[in-house]
This record gives sequence, structure tokens and C-alpha cells, in this order.
Amino acid sequence: MTDISLPQSQLSRPWISAAAVIVAAGLYSWALLMAEETWQVLSLLVLAVVATGVAIKTGFVRRVERDWAASETRLNRLAFAVLIGLILVLSGSHFALLMISTVLLYFVASLGLNIQFGFTGLVNFAGAAFFGAGAYTAAVLGNVAEIPPLLILLAGGIVAMAISLPLLIPIVRTTGHYAAVVTIAFGVLFRTFLEVNEILGGPQGLMVNSMKLFGWDFFNAPSLGNLEISFYVNYALLAAGLAALVFVLFRRLERSWIGLHMDAVRLDETAAACFGISVKRTKILAFLLGNVILGVSGALYGMMISFIAPASFTFSDSLLLVSIVLLGGLGSPWGGAIAAAIVVLLPEKLQLLQEYRFLLFSILVMLVLLFRPEGILPRHLRNFFPNRRTDA
Amino acid sequence: MDLGLIAQYLANGILLGTMYALVAVGFTLFFGVLDVIKFSHGDVLMLGTFIGFTAWLGLEAIGIVNPWIQLAGVLLCSLAGTALIGAAIANWLILPLKKAPQLNTLLITLMLGTAIREAVRLFYPNGSNPKAFPALLPDASVEIGSFALRADSVILVVSGLGLIGLLNLVINRTRLGLAIRAVAQDEETARTMGINYTLVVLATFAIGSGVAAFAGIMNGLYYNEINFGMGLILGLIGFSAAIIGGLGNLYGAILGGFLFAGLQVIGAALLPFASAYKDVFAFAVVIALMAWKPTGLIPERSSDRV
Amino acid sequence: MKFNTGNGLRRIVFTLGATAGLLVATGAQAKDTVELGFIGPLTGGVSSMGLGGRNSAELAVKLRNADPDSKYHYELVALDDECKPNVGVQVATKMATDRKVIGTIAHYCSAVAMGTVDVYHRFGLPMTVWGAVLPDITYGNDYPEITRVNGTMINQNEKAAQFMTGLGYKTFAIIHDTTDYGKGHNKYLSQFLAQDGAEVVGTFGVTSDQQDFTAELTQVKALNPDVVVYAGLTPGGVRVRQQMEKLGIEAVFEGVSGIKSDAFFEGLGGDLAEGTVTFLEGAPAEKLPGGAYFLKEYNAAGYDSPPEAYGPFAFAAMDLLIDAVEASGPDRKAVVDYMSKVKEHDSITGPITFDDHGQNTVALITAYVAQGGKWVVWEDSDYAKGTLSLVAPK
Repeated sequence: MTDISLPQSQLSRPWISAAAVIVAAGLYSWALLMAEETWQVLSLLVLAVVATGVAIKTGFVRRVERDWAASETRLNRLAFAVLIGLILVLSGSHFALLMISTVLLYFVASLGLNIQFGFTGLVNFAGAAFFGAGAYTAAVLGNVAEIPPLLILLAGGIVAMAISLPLLIPIVRTTGHYAAVVTIAFGVLFRTFLEVNEILGGPQGLMVNSMKLFGWDFFNAPSLGNLEISFYVNYALLAAGLAALVFVLFRRLERSWIGLHMDAVRLDETAAACFGISVKRTKILAFLLGNVILGVSGALYGMMISFIAPASFTFSDSLLLVSIVLLGGLGSPWGGAIAAAIVVLLPEKLQLLQEYRFLLFSILVMLVLLFRPEGILPRHLRNFFPNRRTDA
Repeated sequence: MDLGLIAQYLANGILLGTMYALVAVGFTLFFGVLDVIKFSHGDVLMLGTFIGFTAWLGLEAIGIVNPWIQLAGVLLCSLAGTALIGAAIANWLILPLKKAPQLNTLLITLMLGTAIREAVRLFYPNGSNPKAFPALLPDASVEIGSFALRADSVILVVSGLGLIGLLNLVINRTRLGLAIRAVAQDEETARTMGINYTLVVLATFAIGSGVAAFAGIMNGLYYNEINFGMGLILGLIGFSAAIIGGLGNLYGAILGGFLFAGLQVIGAALLPFASAYKDVFAFAVVIALMAWKPTGLIPERSSDRV
Repeated sequence: MKFNTGNGLRRIVFTLGATAGLLVATGAQAKDTVELGFIGPLTGGVSSMGLGGRNSAELAVKLRNADPDSKYHYELVALDDECKPNVGVQVATKMATDRKVIGTIAHYCSAVAMGTVDVYHRFGLPMTVWGAVLPDITYGNDYPEITRVNGTMINQNEKAAQFMTGLGYKTFAIIHDTTDYGKGHNKYLSQFLAQDGAEVVGTFGVTSDQQDFTAELTQVKALNPDVVVYAGLTPGGVRVRQQMEKLGIEAVFEGVSGIKSDAFFEGLGGDLAEGTVTFLEGAPAEKLPGGAYFLKEYNAAGYDSPPEAYGPFAFAAMDLLIDAVEASGPDRKAVVDYMSKVKEHDSITGPITFDDHGQNTVALITAYVAQGGKWVVWEDSDYAKGTLSLVAPK
């Protein structure tokens, strides 16, 4: 592509190819969630691999990315509409909705992590601990009738942030792998503490009350005539709303001067400091904000699953969250969305392999990384002059 | 407290420390040459131990029962096999990702670790259950009061420390070591000086993995039990130890290993409340240490190029 | 086949052995297919228990399909809960919302079962626990859908305390893992030991994946108890016993149901295991005519992993579930009703009678001792006869 001439797609309807991709992704998700038989699942997986391969080779991915950048708001709205449509179409199937909600909440959590190490370069290996802190907050506060549940979500975020406060000094002082070990230690510490300590239910775990909004209990199925509607519709819609909200926040942050500071800190701390950016303040902000998002998503997840125990928030769960971020491409929200779907749905769809599923899952992720070493959809750095630059 | 008891704790701490140090050394070597963290290190260690165990089964099957010959066979197979595996991982999984973000190397090795663990669990005969590792070392022991000093522990510690010493010599006194240090310091310059970069990286990974396999065999000989999950926790501790000590520094890894072992023993022995909190204690101290010494106890000698 | 329509979720059908399939294809074409579920840990640390349970459940299905008198053709849907509550809730939802699944047997890990009972209740799926031992799973709720064929840890520890104090042991050191399983056993065992006049001289919590117990055992050695108890699963049990030897601790080693597996011997290699005492609910499989039949069939089926301690319970639970479907038809409500009336139902682990919480009340606990590389029922062992003896009380 030459850099100065207007891209062809911009002449007619620049967003049409991207819109087609969104609709296709929606249809594909529906098909995958509804696939019942082994051969259906396998052929859908093969289809996805082949389609992605072809799209990358022919440069279609590049084009969609470019078009997306050109008319982002419109396409993001379309993606949200397709998601809501998907939830409504699947409103009768509990399990499909549970999976959608899980994917959405893991996606939200990955956005939180992305602020930390996609933008700022702060590695966090205790994602599951902060996620779990939110869920435990929901469990404890859910029993207090006076607290409005939406506030509980927020409280989940605040508690997650609060427990990360003691980590601020080591996090700010260390970099790279040294920071990793601080969070690893914290993750192990968090889980062991919950198991040993009886106050929060010990190893046996805690019940979490369901979400209630304006007097509406989320474990009641909404009824529309004779249609059988799953109560998970409630959670799926709320999760979709939360995802949209955090997504918008994430993009705003990325485009703001704060995002710029974060990128600068990640790329070169010394240079950033020379330009008068407070490295310390930027890191603290990214770390705390990321943990708030992790906590909020964890609180809703806890309410939806309705039962939590320390075994659900282990080091390997933190690694799962990290792998979503890395697989998607550092700092890339849409990559994160795709990766969250892969990481949540693939092991589930591989249940047909019984005890062999994790072996296959890990091999698949390794293959993806060998062919896409920068993740599925690598993030492009901000483009101040969109039409004046080649896609490097 | 009883003196014998203290001696017992001390002996235990030294043994654990040697084992942790051997694992940590691998992490620090890999980080030195490639600036990467290889998270599958613990699982490669487990694989090495299983190779050794299989070698022992083979020797038993062909009728060689002398424990010393068996031990030599087990060590040879295990170390050589694991070294090869380590080099293969570097060649096919880590070097191809050299240009990608460092963290992606971490993810790919993480997944490799899972794959190795699951593969051993599924494909090793009855791999999901613990295996009895043979006691090949003499089991004589000297009772001093309430303290039992066992010959096998002494041999294990001495040989473990010996191996670390040997490694130190290799790194500091040989041409290979010189090449490794050169690559660790500056890859490009090392290349222009005619050092075969790929070969050095592969050799480093082979050495690091071999040392880990030794730690695995040591683990097997001491506990007389191995299982497919043993690498996970050892890897995690080894990584933490390497970091506390300061990455890229052999002495740091050793110091970190002994420190971590010390913390665990102190946590279990001296904490007034339930010993179940000992891991909470050990990891809390790790966090505090990192706040105090952000680049490890023996920091890398480096300066940022601005 | 009337169950093949409908908008149920994707399901995974575990294909049964070729022989059974052939039998069905030739002899039972007219039968309707009924799907039954199994959930347990098929991957991760305790997967050997899960695989043993799955194989046993599959065997029950296979044997019934081979029976020309059965009214339906059964298919097993097996799912993996990874021993994690959140994954458990996920797969339980999947199982319970699949209308084709009529009933399920589920869970080895107690924390998982605690999380999923609500799901089964909400969707009305009859579920029979085959392995988890926490009392609250059945006693913590009034759900008619939930039943359990194996006993709880209360029964087990009551017997364990009586038995050990009966042999004259007075001082105990308990090492337990900090999972609900280990902690629960510690709680009930300590309670019953105190009732029976024995003294617990030390209690140590350890993590379930801990490798090194020397620090704890060094303290145990100083306390010099008659008995060292490990409350946890086989891998930890093997390590504790192994390291007791390293430190030269002279005491009886007592375990809980979690270590009663063949892997205990494989991990320890004979001599060290000798004289270990443990307890398991139910009559010993090999003593009942049905149990011997089970073991024979299991070995004949050629599975590559052993049934483990809870395999017979998985078999009995699945068999009971199939009996329920045979008697009341493939309808979830009817199966739940049937389960509430189960009394003196024959099974390979002894007769099953459910109380009003769905708990099997036949709290028969058997004591086992490790002798000559295998678990021997205490009463039949050389230890009971006096030709061999445990470490004497101090």
C-alpha cells in the first residue's frame, strides 16, 4: 500500500467489510454455542482456523483493521448490537448464556490487566486474586440487604484496589520480571490465606447471593408470553453492558494523555521521566485502575456462579487471565475479546476429549503463538496522522 | 528449643536450599543469555526425573542391581535426555519468538509446561499416580541425640553444591563460559566477535535443563517419591528464588534458593500460630524483600543506556 | 428415537466400548436411548480418582446395556469439573440444562459439590454424589434432587477414633491438608478422639501440593505421639509416610479414605506402607458377592487405571440411577421421587437406604490395614490375628 493515496475502501463505504466480519463473527458464535455433535464442533474449529489463515494471507485482516480505525464508533455500536442480538436469540439456552457471560466477564478482566501491562508494562500475575477479592466482596456484602447490588459491584472493585495498596511500594520500585514475582507471591499468599483462614468460609467456600436490580432478582427468569427464557439473560445483558462500559473507558483512556503517559512509561521509563512524566504516578494509577476493573468483573462473576471457593482463584487462574492478554496481543482490546472467547470456550468445547483436553488446548495455544508471535490482533500504536503513515 | 531439633531444621533447610538453588540457577542462566523467563523449567525438571525413573526401571529389567551403577545410569540418561530437551525447546519454541514481546515467550513456555505435565499424566503408564523412586543411596544414619544425620542427605547436599561449584567454574573459567557471558552482556557485539550465537544459546539451555534434572533426581532420591505435578511448585519456588537473589547472577540464585528454604523452615518451625501459615509468611517476606531491594539481593551490574 | 429431537445443548457422548455398541446394534434396536451423566475430576492432581470413578460408571452403563432385559439403551455423558467450584458450576449447568440427561452422578471434591447442589436443584436434575464426603452436601439443604451413596466424614471419623483408642493408642498428631477435605477430617477426628479420651498432641495444616513435610514432622518427632494421622489424599500421604521414615519417627501411620488407593503402594513401594491403617465407608467390595463381580468385570474391561477407593461407589450410584430409570421411566421428577423412597436397595457396596436428606444411612465403615503390599480388611489381617503387630502404644 502506498502511504499518501487514499485507501480504496475509503472511497465507497469504508466500514462494509468490517461490518461483514462482525455479523459473520456473531453467526459463528451462535453456531459454535449451539453445536451439539463432535463433528459439528470440529468442523467449526477447522473453519475458524482456515478462515483466519486466509484472511491474514490475503491482507483482509489489515484492511478490516484500517476500516475499523476509520469508522470506529459506528462499528463498535454494530458489534454491541450483534452481541445483544446473539444473547436474545439464545435466550432459551441456559448454558450458552452462561458461557457468553463468562467470556464477557473474562474479557472485562483482561481489559483491566491490559491497562496494567498492555499500556504501562506492569506485569500482574495475581489477576485471579483481585478477581477473587471482588467475588468475595460480593459474597460478604450480598448478605447485607440494605446495600444496593450495583454498589456491591463497585465495592468489589474498591476492595480489590484496597488489598493491592500494600503492593504499591514494591510494584513501583521494581520493573519487569521482578514485579512479576511480587504479584506471584501475592497471588499465592491470597489463596493460602483464604484456605487457612476460617472467617471467609475457608477452603469450603461461600455462597454468593444473586444480583438484584430495582427489586428484580436475577435468578428469576423474565417471562414473555409462553417463551422459555433463561434467567442467565439477566446476567448476560448486565455483563454485556459492563463490557461495553469498560471498553469505552478503555478506549478513552488509550486516546487520552494518561494513555500516552502509560505508553511512554512502558516503552522507556528513563525517557518518559525526562519528558516530565511522573513514572511513579502513572504506574500507581494503572495498577489501581486495573485492579478496580478486575474486582468489578469478579464481583459480578461471583454473583453469577453463586458459589466461590479459594480453589477457583489459584495461580493457574491468574495465568489464564494473563494468557488472554498475551494471546490477544498486548494492549489490544479486540484481540483480548477473541482470546477470551478462545480461552473460555475452547476447553469447554474440548470436553469431548475428556482427560486429553488440556493437553490439546495448550498445544493449540503454542501453535497460535508460533504463527502469530505478537498475539492474534497486535495493537498498533496510536496514529496521530491516520492517512500519512504506512501500516508498519 | 532442643539442640537436636535445631540441627534437624538446619539440615533440612540446607537440603531444600540446595535443591531450590539448582532450579534457580537454570532460570538465571536463561535470563542471562536471552532475557527470557522459561516457565516450563519446572516441568522439564519433572520430565527429566521421569526419564531417570524409566532408566532405573530399564536397568532393573535387564538385571543390573548394583545401586551405584544404577545411579550412574539414571543420572546419565536423565541429564543427557533433559539437556537435549532443553536445547530442543530453545531451538523450536524460544528462539523463533525472539522478536515477539518477551512476555509471549513466557506464555508459550507456560503452555509447554502444561503440555508436558498433562502428557506425562496421560501417557506415562499410570502417570496420574505418584511413583516410588528407588533409594539408591546408602541409608545409614548417625543419631546424635534426637537428631538423625542421614548419609544420603549428606551425599545429596555435597553433590548438589559440587555441581553448582562446577557450573561456576564452567561459566567463569572456560571458553564456553566466556561465550555465554559475552552473549549475556551484549548479543550483537558477541556476534561480531565471531561467537556462534545460536550454539551458545542452545548450550546454555542444555546446561540449565541438565542442572534442573539433577535437582529432580535429587528430589526423587530424597523423598523417594515422584509425581507429575512436582515440577510446578519447584519451578515456582525456583523462579522466586532466582528473582530474590537477582536475575542473571549465579550467586544470587544460590543465595535466593537458601533464603527461600530458610524462610519456609522458619515459618514452619518458629511461627507461634498454625504452621499452615508458613507459605503466607514466606511469600509476604518475598514481597517485603522486593520492596526493599527491587532488583534482588545481588543486583545485576547494569546501567540504562539513555 | 424420541430423545433425539429438541433444542437441548450440545452434548458430549462418551462412546462406549465397541462390544457393547455391537450388542446394542444387533439385539436392542427397539430400545429408546436414555442419557445419564457423570461429573468428576478428569484432569489435574486428583484425576486418578476421577478417572477411576468414570470408568466404574461407564462399566455400570456398559453392563446394563449388555443385559437384554433392560428397558432402555443408556449412554454416558462424562464431564470434567477439574476439582474447581467455578468449573463445576459450569459443567453442572451444562448437564442440568440438557433436557436429554435424566440424571447424573457427580463430584469427588467436596467444595465443588457444595457449589453445584443449587444448580441441580434449580433445574430439577437428580444427582447422586459418588465420592465427596463433606456432611453439608446432603445435610446443608433440603433439596430432594441430591442424594449420596457414600458415607460422610462424620461416620468415618467416629469409627476411626473408636477403633484406634480401642487398640490402646492415646496420643495423636494430626497433619491435615488445608482443603475442606483435610480440614473437615481434622475437625471430626479431633472431636471424636476427645470424646473417646485420647489426646491430640499437635495439629499441623499443610497445603495439598506440599512436597516437604520435614519441618512439621520434626515437631511431631519431638511430641512423640503413638499415632501420626494424615488427613488428605494419596500423594500427600505417601510423602508424609516417606518422610516419617527419614526422620526416624516410630509411630503408627493412620490415614483417611483419601489414601485408600493402590497408588499408595505404588508411591511407597511395599515395606514402608506396611502397617498403615485407614478407613473407608461401605462394606469391602471384595467381600460382597456384587463387589467381587465388580472387580472381575472391571479388570476384564481392560481400563488402564484402577477403580480407586470410590470406583465401587460410582458404580453403585450409577447402577442405582439406572434402576430408578428402569422403574419409573426416563423422567427427572419420577427419578427424584424414586430416589426419595430408596430403602435397603441392593448394591455392590452394601444395601442403600436414603434418609430424609438423601444421605445413605448405612454407615458401615471398614477398617483396612496395609499388609504385604495391599489393603486388607482389619479383621482378616495378620495384625488382628496377632501374628503381626503395629507399633505399640507408648
